[in-house]
Amino acid sequence: MRGLAVDEAAWSSAWRGRSPGDKLLLCAGLVGCALVLPAWPGSALVGLTAVGLALGPARVPARTFGRAIRWPLAFILVGAVTAVVSVGDGGIGWAPDAAARAGELAGHALAGSAAVLLLATTTPMSDLLPALRRLRVPAAVVEVAGVTYRLLFVLLESLHTIREAQTARMGWSSVRRSYRSAGLLAAGVLTRSWDRARRLQEGLAGRGMETDLRVLPEVLPSSRAFLATAATGLAGIVALSLLVSGGALA
Amino acid sequence: MHIAEGFLPPAHAIGWTVAAAPFVAHGARAVVTEVRENPESTLLLGAAGAFTFVLSAIKLPSVTGSSSHPTGTGPGAILFRPPVMALLGTVVLLFQALLLAHGGLTTLGANAFAFAVVGPWAGYGAYRLTRAAGAGLLPAVFVGVALADLATYLMTSLQLALAFPDATSGFVGALAKFLAVFALTQVPLAIGEGLLGVLLFRVLTRNARPELERLGVLEPATPTTAGSPL
Repeated sequence: MRGLAVDEAAWSSAWRGRSPGDKLLLCAGLVGCALVLPAWPGSALVGLTAVGLALGPARVPARTFGRAIRWPLAFILVGAVTAVVSVGDGGIGWAPDAAARAGELAGHALAGSAAVLLLATTTPMSDLLPALRRLRVPAAVVEVAGVTYRLLFVLLESLHTIREAQTARMGWSSVRRSYRSAGLLAAGVLTRSWDRARRLQEGLAGRGMETDLRVLPEVLPSSRAFLATAATGLAGIVALSLLVSGGALA
Repeated sequence: MHIAEGFLPPAHAIGWTVAAAPFVAHGARAVVTEVRENPESTLLLGAAGAFTFVLSAIKLPSVTGSSSHPTGTGPGAILFRPPVMALLGTVVLLFQALLLAHGGLTTLGANAFAFAVVGPWAGYGAYRLTRAAGAGLLPAVFVGVALADLATYLMTSLQLALAFPDATSGFVGALAKFLAVFALTQVPLAIGEGLLGVLLFRVLTRNARPELERLGVLEPATPTTAGSPL
């Protein structure tokens, strides 16, 4: 892992210039729909909308989106199958309506994951962190999160460089050597993170930092047309789901 | 092992968020106080958060022949204490959800309770008890880090069992199912992460002793003290 594919997609997305608040509202609406609407057709509609918006107007590479959804998919499949297996005195078997329940569980989770991934692949973390301030998260906490975000790329680069050097020296050629290399790798990354933090602090102190890290946040204006379209689309998903399912919520 | 977005029913997602909130708020208050007294701590705490995130990107060889990733909260709890890890762990979970698609936003509370609260507290408690029983640093680190991992996995299984009780045997049967399924990956991972913790702290005691002393992990070395308390 050299960089983070989802983050790279967010920076180069066609929706990068859109207001993070607008995208947050759309994705929160989709996540809410995925959670409370019946799996059929609610989750299917949410999933299709999220994937369609990501690969269509937001121009997120299909490969990046597909690779990212693999992680939750593995958990969802194992979790859903485990949830519908029944263990009793008669041994192991399928619970009543196992296929329907597993499909429902997987549907809610996949649609929700796709909605979160739509936000992740269109909005860089540095755009989302200022939104935490508006949610009344203390400034110090947001600053720590901001430094974490900026430092993790430096540390991932260090991780990759050290690992490459270890591999060239046969450091990962056996289980024993792999563990030894992993320990050295973790220690190397930790000491480098301390060193980076100390050097940053010294540099900022030299520039007069006394209380907090002040930066000028990029202002991305909200779009009424985007919000109106999002609200209409979400209302359409809710209406269609309730119509098809007969008005029952999940 | 993070619970994916949308996997928990809404009532459970809200319930676990409410359960995790006091611990995360306590951690946030500790961080705010620390930053107010020492503004430069922002950078060190940020580095600690980034390290926890990056630690979860290190691949460990697995008994199944593939590889797995450590949780990273065990070493963090020993180095930075559980209250700070409650906040840093939650920040890391948010980043994992939005940068790696691991976990989710509505399941952030449930994952934070397991990964950032129960895991660090269980691991740190085990580490302190083992040290108090007279064990050296490295055995205590192994116990603490492995237990932090195991406690996270036990808590996640419990959360899933509460959400999806077995049709025949109820909560107990469901707990047994989830524990058995995830044990295949999580038990070897806990042992592997314990070993990684030992190797990490062995290197740190050689290369970063002043930092470990400043964090209170090691007693400051005095000229009359011979040898290290390993």
